[in-house]
Amino acid sequence: MTAATTAVAAAGRDTSRPVPWPRGARAVFDLALEGMVWSRRSLVIAVLLGLPVVFAIAYRAVLAAKLPPRLTGFDLYGIVVAIYYVRNVLPLAALFYATALVADEVDGKTLTYLLTRPVRRSAILAGKFGAYLATTLSLSLPAAVVTFFLLATSGGFEGIGGRVPDLFRDLGVMALTLVAYGGLFTLLGVLLRRPVIPGLLILYVWELVANLPGYMPRFTLTAWLRSLIRHRPPQEGLSEVFGQVLPADLSLQVLTLATVVFLAASLWIFSRREYVIEQ
Amino acid sequence: MTAVLEYVRASRWYGPVIALNDVTTTVGPGVTGLLGPNGAGKSTFLKLAAGLLAPSQGEVRLLGRPAWGTPELYHHVGVCPETDAFWEGMTGLQFVTALLRLTGYDDAECRRRAEQALETVALLEAQDRKVGGYSKGMRQRVKMAQALAHDPQVLLLDEPLSGMDPVNRRRVVDLVKRLGREGRTVLVSSHILHEVEAMTRRVLLIHNGRILAEGDVREIRDLMDEHPHTVSLRARDPRALARAVVGAPHVLSLTFGADGEWLTLQTAKPDEFYGHLHEAALAAGVMEMYSPDEDLESVFRYLVPR
Repeated sequence: MTAATTAVAAAGRDTSRPVPWPRGARAVFDLALEGMVWSRRSLVIAVLLGLPVVFAIAYRAVLAAKLPPRLTGFDLYGIVVAIYYVRNVLPLAALFYATALVADEVDGKTLTYLLTRPVRRSAILAGKFGAYLATTLSLSLPAAVVTFFLLATSGGFEGIGGRVPDLFRDLGVMALTLVAYGGLFTLLGVLLRRPVIPGLLILYVWELVANLPGYMPRFTLTAWLRSLIRHRPPQEGLSEVFGQVLPADLSLQVLTLATVVFLAASLWIFSRREYVIEQ
Repeated sequence: MTAVLEYVRASRWYGPVIALNDVTTTVGPGVTGLLGPNGAGKSTFLKLAAGLLAPSQGEVRLLGRPAWGTPELYHHVGVCPETDAFWEGMTGLQFVTALLRLTGYDDAECRRRAEQALETVALLEAQDRKVGGYSKGMRQRVKMAQALAHDPQVLLLDEPLSGMDPVNRRRVVDLVKRLGREGRTVLVSSHILHEVEAMTRRVLLIHNGRILAEGDVREIRDLMDEHPHTVSLRARDPRALARAVVGAPHVLSLTFGADGEWLTLQTAKPDEFYGHLHEAALAAGVMEMYSPDEDLESVFRYLVPR
């Protein structure tokens, strides 16, 4: 490169280096967020994430009187978080968003625009992952909070203060669910041309291993995630689903490590792969 | 010529298919046309230059650095891809601005540069319309705008005139020529000969993944000795002109036109022919002269077996 081109440009940009990583990631984040928030995918996921709110309203209005008294509103909230959100809808949201981070750009043939800018590829993927998290967290956490207050206060506000820490913990677990599955499905997305079917197989075939006795559940994300949920649904009828509880500290470490590994592998692959051939 | 873009024994294959085969060439400042039929390897050649593909073998260097895996190069490179692909929900201005932000400019500078680039391609009035509602020609131009907006030293344009109406085609041709005159390196691919010819006489002819010929079209033509050069002359007295040149050893054949004014001849050595023509042309009153097979199409026809 000539001396002229390596010099710091008049506009204040150092053109001898890529755009600073945080700045590049932020620019991609903004670009990706706009596309994600106003997408049909977000509409569908928002409906799925909002269903517990509808259920909670119906519960307070009609169902509370008809359900057995031993199942409290707070118990139902626990089921919603553990089974609906953490086991099903959040992983599903992660699947549909995270596998699409690169696949959408490849299918839409717009990846070329991103790859021909002076931004490190790792910043591109990180920016897109950040946009995925911002979108899914902003859709899911408010829904969980509203569901909590609707269900946990169905019998009155007494004792609600003592349950708020559980809410915060649940929100943390939900966020971790999105992060961990997001990492896994981002990896699938950068590896495979059609990642959704393998992702569904992981979610609804492989992750069932979490319900088996023995050591195998440790090879699923579900087992570790549900171990972090403190308030558990009552044993009756659900004991099999929550058969094995792993230590919370260990769960947190394993999930963090798994996420780091998934994301590091994703960044490594994305930085080296020639996606233009697939376009 | 300063080599801005260098291919050193570069090959690229996709599985068993060889798209580019052992190419060694350089491209310097100015406009260079990358010409070849569909499937010749033009896109692969450009994608290697753009760092979108890595060479399977050999080297591709841009501004002295490996084109693959050097993101800082894109400060100095603008790429106009062939694919008609956009984030359709964005306006033209948002599209160019978003890509400028990825080039490291602040918001105010992005806006200024985006508007300037859109003005250059005559899209300023349509800047707030969604790209999804643009015509094919407008979409081509907004792609050009994003490639130009950061004022790159090197422009890689893949079929930039595709789908454009004549007016905008002319505008883009003029723009490309101006960029070349400014000393930028512009590599333009096309499979349409007259498009390239309108922009430059410097070409790289590519076929079956190999460079068939490179350089000035006229020089390439001159090197093709096995194909005689055709020269057509319109004169007041074409028979006198024929008498004057018919004995010359480099004149191979003569044909009179049906209208009685034109004389078409073939010569194996055009430089010698033109050197001897001056006096005869004056005597015969030559009014018009052209070489129908010195254009790109003829060169290409001779070089590429059909």
